[in-house]
This record gives sequence, structure tokens and C-alpha cells, in this order.
Amino acid sequence: MKETTAASENKKSPGFWRHAWLRFRRKKLSMCALIVVFLLSLVAIFSPMIAGTRPIVCKYKGNLYFPCMAYFNADWENPIFQKDRFRKRYPKNLKEKDPDSWAVWPLIFQDPYRPVRNNEWEDRPGNPFNGGEPSSLNIFGTSKGKDVLAMMVHGTRIALLVGFVSTGIAATIGIFVGAVSGYFGGWVDIIISRIIELVMCIPSIVLILALMAVIEQPTIWHMMAILGFTSWTGMARLTRGEFLKLKESEFVAAARSIGVGPFRIMFRHILPNALAPVMVPIVFGIAAAIKVEAGLSLLGFGAPPPNPSWGTILNAGMTNYTEWWQIVFPGVAIFITILAYNLIGEGLQESTDPRLADPKD
Amino acid sequence: MTIALRFSLILSVAGLTALMGCSPDDAASTVPNSTDAVSNSEEDAGAPKDAAFVLGDLIPEFNPPTKEELDNVEWMDKPVVDVYELMANRKESEVAMMTAAEALAVRNKTPEDNHNIVSAMGTLATDGEINYSAEWNRHTSADIRNTNPLMISSSAEFDVSGLLSMGLFSFDWNFTPYGNAGSLVSWQTSSDGLMDMVVMRDDLTWSDGEKITAYDVEFSYQVIMSSAVPIPAVRSGTDQLKCVKAYDERTLVYFHFEPLATNVWNINFPIIPKHKYESTIADDPTLASSPVHVELDENPVSGGAYTILKRVRGQEIILKRRDSYYMFDGQQVRQKPHFETVRFKIIENPNTALLSMKKGELEEMMLTPEQWQSQTNDDDFYKFNTKSYALEWVYYYFGWNFRSPFFKDKRVRQAMSYAFNHQELLEKHRFGMDEASTGIFHRTSPWAPEVAPSSYQQDLTKAEDLLAEAGWEDTDGDGVLDNIVEMDSNFDGESEGSRRVPFEFTILTSNRPDRIAICELLQENLDQIGIRCNVKPVEFTTLQETMLGHKFHAVFAGWGTGADPDTSENLWTTKAIDNGRNYGCYSNPEIDKLFEQGKRELDLGERRKIYQKIHLTLWEDQPYTWLYFRNAYYAFNKSLRGYNYSPRGPYNYGPGADTIFKSAEIQ
Repeated sequence: MKETTAASENKKSPGFWRHAWLRFRRKKLSMCALIVVFLLSLVAIFSPMIAGTRPIVCKYKGNLYFPCMAYFNADWENPIFQKDRFRKRYPKNLKEKDPDSWAVWPLIFQDPYRPVRNNEWEDRPGNPFNGGEPSSLNIFGTSKGKDVLAMMVHGTRIALLVGFVSTGIAATIGIFVGAVSGYFGGWVDIIISRIIELVMCIPSIVLILALMAVIEQPTIWHMMAILGFTSWTGMARLTRGEFLKLKESEFVAAARSIGVGPFRIMFRHILPNALAPVMVPIVFGIAAAIKVEAGLSLLGFGAPPPNPSWGTILNAGMTNYTEWWQIVFPGVAIFITILAYNLIGEGLQESTDPRLADPKD
Repeated sequence: MTIALRFSLILSVAGLTALMGCSPDDAASTVPNSTDAVSNSEEDAGAPKDAAFVLGDLIPEFNPPTKEELDNVEWMDKPVVDVYELMANRKESEVAMMTAAEALAVRNKTPEDNHNIVSAMGTLATDGEINYSAEWNRHTSADIRNTNPLMISSSAEFDVSGLLSMGLFSFDWNFTPYGNAGSLVSWQTSSDGLMDMVVMRDDLTWSDGEKITAYDVEFSYQVIMSSAVPIPAVRSGTDQLKCVKAYDERTLVYFHFEPLATNVWNINFPIIPKHKYESTIADDPTLASSPVHVELDENPVSGGAYTILKRVRGQEIILKRRDSYYMFDGQQVRQKPHFETVRFKIIENPNTALLSMKKGELEEMMLTPEQWQSQTNDDDFYKFNTKSYALEWVYYYFGWNFRSPFFKDKRVRQAMSYAFNHQELLEKHRFGMDEASTGIFHRTSPWAPEVAPSSYQQDLTKAEDLLAEAGWEDTDGDGVLDNIVEMDSNFDGESEGSRRVPFEFTILTSNRPDRIAICELLQENLDQIGIRCNVKPVEFTTLQETMLGHKFHAVFAGWGTGADPDTSENLWTTKAIDNGRNYGCYSNPEIDKLFEQGKRELDLGERRKIYQKIHLTLWEDQPYTWLYFRNAYYAFNKSLRGYNYSPRGPYNYGPGADTIFKSAEIQ
């Protein structure tokens, strides 16, 4: 008897999230999807090192620089590379202006913002402008002279960022509003529920189109914000439902009886228990946000130029259907990414739903 | 026969076709919005809504002379010409390079091919060659909103209305104005240039059988000059007249304030049937709201070669040949229109339109340069169609706003022109087919300077030097140029005074990939010399509104040409900032003075010198960075013949579409 208790004490039963993870791991499709998203994130983070015309790192006139960071933020490019007729063209200027300089170049010498011109890199032809089919220099072809692969690599950043940021905003608002509404109930609940219904009525695409026209200099961040501020309703409703249910449970009553404040109860005690069902729409929300962004860019109202969003490439391809590579490659990228997120969402849904749990666990 | 009205509109009304959003090549209507925007503001300034309607309240006080007094005036004859015959004469002196059949077997690959095709397909019909029972399926990218010639403003409406209305005047491919022999017996100008007298033909009828008389013209003038009628665009030009008076059913006299060179254009305005509108206009001065007017707009009384047979909103407009147009009292009095029916198919998407062309369902469309270059070279296209192009006087430009703190200085604007890679634009973006633009007039225009200024070539060093001269330098070491500039509270709400600002601005363009790409090229070029340029693609109406409000730094857009150089007064004079299309607020007293002189100079040689000077002054000032002239690229079905190009494309001149026909041999 003693031995068995000791054994059970040593082998702690897995917690809820650990349990969910174990079950999730068994779903092959979802795991593949997770790997895909992980790889895409790597591509996004390291995009300036994969494709670009600025060195990853270079030594110039005695100092070490990281010009490729300019792809993240134009202000991060040292002005030394603009002055004295350097004009942001690295390959020849580096050697010409400082023979002792050295540089580590990205894997692919192509720029997402502009075509590579003749002889920009010693003895290398410029990008073909029209009918630039896939070739050894432009693996995915060109779109108005710009390398499609470089655009797609850098576009990954936009796609993932849009997904995370806008859904992050939506989740924050949705969970907070839903929690308040569900926990306090009564009038608060009635008013908030009406507000939710009101926001649900706003067609976000129309709103985005209108706001992008009004804003003086719309950036991709504006779009993420608008997407976030219009898509939180589903999460709010789910959270509200969970809170309505959980606030009646014993652990809440216990917490309340020892004088814990309402916000501490809401976010310290109830929320962790309510999170599982909310996680699922968050993941689906990411997929939806990516889709909306691609759709808007396709219509020409998405990421402002020259941001190389996947939808923007599609838009360019739309006017010329003979240049199939502008449609197929970004189209496949959008498809795979959205599919991956949806598979993850589905896997998460199944592995966090206790009713679907394998009895053997 | 059919074109006259369209001219009058384009000339006196719109002056220039606005192309910033959509040139003919992207089809949608561009003119409309601009005129609308104007009309709204002017409408407010007009008479209060409930005030009783006064017909012609804007007509100045004037007592026209009696008929007897007119007989004592010394008159000079002006040409009354059948433009179709004029074209026929021209064609006689031109030798077609090949027959139409030969031309249709050729694929248009080189400029020489194009020359052959244009000359062969432009041959006019010989006797018995025309298939009069044919239908012509035309493309239009937008539906029409009005059929009333006074209200039209979009290019689609020009096309449709051109077939539905009659005009007293016309002009040819050289933009020489004529009296239209189809409508007039004679046209005379008084020796002091203050009066124009025309005698109309007595065999003109409306499609409902009523006669078209001088009273209709007089009435149309009065309607245009009524403040309650919201058509300021048509009014500009017509308001230069002192009076229009019908002395009898056929005799009409136009009175001018001054003997201007532009009087020949001012007398050309749209004509509406008096007997239809006379009693209803007081109830509904908008001409478009009351049930009677809506019905009249649906089924207009036509004065032109065709009438409306059927109209399906958003899909098609079918026009039918009008027998009473060319027949009178059982006799043929005018040329028989070449088509039994003309069907305008409304297809917004250029790709869809091209697919319809390839299936033979459309028989005419304007191609985008991209379509010309890569989607119209296959057997699919040549199975039913052929294509050709010709120079059109439509130029595109980057416009700099003089109210923006960045572009007040001439050196900065010149630096912009030096910074831009014109060569790549022409060779890559325009496929090496379009010509560089070196100012407001094309070099083949009579108004262009004899020696055209040489076009700008990219020279970043020169651009940097000019900017440094103007004070733009990177003083804070952030890689972006900066300078102390005067702020203008009217422009962006910033308080007045001087401030150091970085050189970062936004350029507006309509939302089309090819235009965005051109702006991105500018962005890239400027980025290299330390200027941040943001590209903002906007929807057409937003673009229009922003430009009218002058709330922009820079814009990429285009202008078509009017028939008279005076039409560009609307773009460059100081008064056009508030009442015209001088969106960039360019103001130069010398230019203002020159335009006034140009209007008044009657000697052609002297007048030419004035506009040449305007051209060169503007080029020196670089209020625009002029980019390129866009060619007219067209696809035509193989059954069509007789199309000829003018600097305003294949339709917008006389005889324009009137010479086009289907051959009887092809059924």
C-alpha cells in the first residue's frame, strides 16, 4: 500500500495544457501545420538575410554595420550609405569607396522593393521587366521587374504580423469585454451584449476601405488595428459564455468568500479555466486576418506600396493572366498559411475538448 | 453627322479630358466626377432652391439688333463642310499601303506593320461595300448616367450621346473648326468679329417628328445660362457669349463680348428639344428628377443619327439607326448611318472585355499597353481581331503642389525631374512604345515650340546639387534631407511660420498596378538621394476630391487635349485654382497674361507664338514633371473598316466613328 502511494505521488498526473499538448502531438496534420507556421516564422524573422540587396553585415571604413536591418525599418540604415553618392547601392560602392571593406550577403541577391538592374552586381543581368518567367536568377519569376521570391519572403513578415497583431488586439479586447460582461452580468451584460451586436454589424472590409482612404498615410499597422478592433466580437461572446458558467462554480465562490477582488477573480482564477475554448477562435482569427489582408491587397487597398504583401503580387498578376507565376506562387503561399492555421485551430479544438479525450489518457 | 455634339461637349464643357483616374485605357469615366464636384459647389452658390425658376437668368442685359439692322452688317463667310467628304478627300491623296484583306492577315509586331494596318483599315467605303444591316458591338467600361447632352460628363456618355445628338459645328483631325454641312446652310462672321450668323437646314427633325429649329438652339442657350440648372461645366465657354437669338426658324445669331479666337468654340454647345423641356423645366431645373424628365432621359428625343432602342442597366445600351435623320420627305438628305444597330456592352474589367473580344462578342475596345504587349499576340486574338495604335495627345505627369512646403522652389521641382529615371519609365514601364512628353503640347501640335525642349534625363548628382542650392541638406544626420520651410495653414492645418522639416511627402495615384509601379520608381529614385516619398493609391473619387481641395503634395495623373489650346487655360491660370483644374495651384502672372493674349490674338502666326511661349515658360517652371504621351491602342474586329486616328483617338473628332463600317462581303 505504502509503495503504491509513493508511486502515485512521484508520477504527477499531467495538467490540462500538458494533456492537451500530448493529445495535439498525436494529430499528424496539426503537427505538420505547426511546423509549417514555425518555418514561416523563421522566414519572416530572417527575411532580410534570405533575400535582399543590402549586406547582412559589412565592415566599411573601419566600422561594422548591419545594413539589412533597413528592411525592418528604413531609419535603421546608417546615413553613411546614402551620403557621398553611395546612394544605397552596396555591391560596387563598398569596394570602390573602401577597398578593405568586406560584406556578408543574403542568400538571394534580389530586392522586394525594386528591380535589380543590369550590372548592379558584377556581370549580372538585371531582372526582366515584362514576361519575366521563373529562371535561375528569379526563381519565382518577376513582377514588374521585382523578384517574386524576394517579395514573397518579405511578404511573409506582413502576413504573419497581420495575423498576430490584429488577432492579438482582438483577443485582448474580446477577452476583457467578454470577461466583464459575463462576470458582472445584469445591466452590464445587457449593455455590453448590445455593443457586441452593434460591432458585429459593422462590415470590417467596408470600414477598412473607408478608413484607409481617410488616413493621410495609411500603413499596414492601421489595417491591423482596424482588423483587430472589428473582429473581437466572437471571442467576447465565447469568453462571456465561459464566465457565465464558471462564475457559479465552487472555486469562485471560495475565492469570493475570502475577499478576493473581482478583477483578481476574473483574470487570476476564472480566465485560465476559460482560456481553452477561446484559444480556438483566436487561431482561426489569425487565419481569417491573413485572408482579409490578402483580399484587401488583391483589391489594391491593403499594404501600401511598396510593401510586398502576397495579395499585392496577386493584384499585379490579375492584370496580366499570362504571367501565371504572379498568381500561382503567392496563391499557394496564402493557401498553405491559412490552411496551416486552420489545421492548428482544429487540432487545438479537438485536443482541448475534454469530451473528445481518449478515455485511456 | 454624329460627332458634332460630342465635340461641343469636350471642347466647351470639359475642356480637357481628365485622366488621372482612368484614362480611356482603364475606361471608367473620368470627366464626370470632376464636373460633378464643381457642380456641387457652384450649385450652392446659385439661387436658393425655392426661388422661382428664371430661364436664362445669367444672360447679361442686351438688346439684340433687328433683322434689318443685321442686313447692314458686313459679313464674312466661314466654311460649312461635310467632314466625311473632307476625310474622303484626304484619303484620295493617301495611298493605302495594302488592301484591307492583306492587312488583316498581318500581325501587328513592328511600327511598320502598324503603319500598314492603320493605312489599310482606314480606307473609306466604296459604293456598295457597306453592309447597312450590320450591328456593331462596342465596348464601354462604365454605364451611362444620363442621355441628356447637357448633363453628360463621362467618356461613355460622350460616346453614346455622340450618336444621339446633333450639332451645328464640328472639327476635323487637325482641330480646324467647321460649320457642319449636315445641319447648316451657311455660317458667317461679322467683320468686327462680334457676331456669328448661321442659317440652319430646313430638313432637320427630332426623332419624334418635330422640326429642329433655331428656337431649339436659343432655348438650349437659355437653359445653359440658368443658374438653377446644375451644369456649370457646359456653361464655361457658353458664358463667354453675350446673347444667342433666333430671328426665325432657321436664322440664328450669336453675339460676343469681344472678338476672341475662341469664339468659334464658344458657339458650340449641346442642343436639347425646346418642345419637350419648355413646359417642364420650371418644375425641375435639375432636368433629371421629375418623372417627366426621368422618362425623357430613359427615352430621349434624339436629334442625331441613332435613337435608343433598349437600355439594360449595367449591361448594355442598344441604339438603332434613325430613318428620319437621313430621310426627309421621302428623299435621302444626309448620309445613311452605317450600322443598323450599335450595341454598347458594359464590361468593367479589361480582362473580361478582352476575353469577349477574343470570342468575337465585342468588336472594338481600347487596349491597355500591357494587353497590347502580351495578351493580344496569339491565334485566339487574331482569329476575329486585329489591332493598331496611333499617337494620342494624352500626357501623363507628376504634378507638384505649390502649396506644399516642399515644392514652392523651382529648383526643387527641377531636381525632381532630374532624379526620376525617365529612361526606365519609357523603356520598361511603357514598353518602349510611348514618346517622352516635353511639355503641354505634343511636338506635332501647331502650338508646340518649333524646337521642342529636350526631355529630362536622370542625373542624381544634378538633382542633389539643385536640392542643396535650395537649402535641402541632411543637417541632423538621419539620412533624410531637411530644410527650414514656410508652413501654410491653408494647406495642412499646420500653424504658419518657419520650421525645419524632413523631406518626406506622399504622392497620390489611382489604384492601378501599372501606375503604382511608376510611382514606386519615383520613390526608389528619391530614396537614393535622401527623400522619403510615400505612394498612396486611392480610389478615383477620393483622388478627385483631394485634388479639388488642393490637399496633396504630389500626384500622378494625365490630361487629354482639347481642340483649342485655350482649353488648357483651365489648368494653368491663377483663376483656375478655385474655378478650374489648376489642382497644383500654379500661379504665374506672365502665364495669366499670355492666356488672355492668346484668346484675343486672331492672327494664327502670332497666336502660335503666344502658346509656344506658354509651353516654354511652363517647361522652365516644371510645375509638372512631364513623363510620356500615351498612345491610343485599339483592337477592332476584322469585319470593321474605315477607322482613322486623330490626336484625340479614333472617335473624338470629325468624322470619327462615322466612317466606320462593316464590309458587305463578310457576313
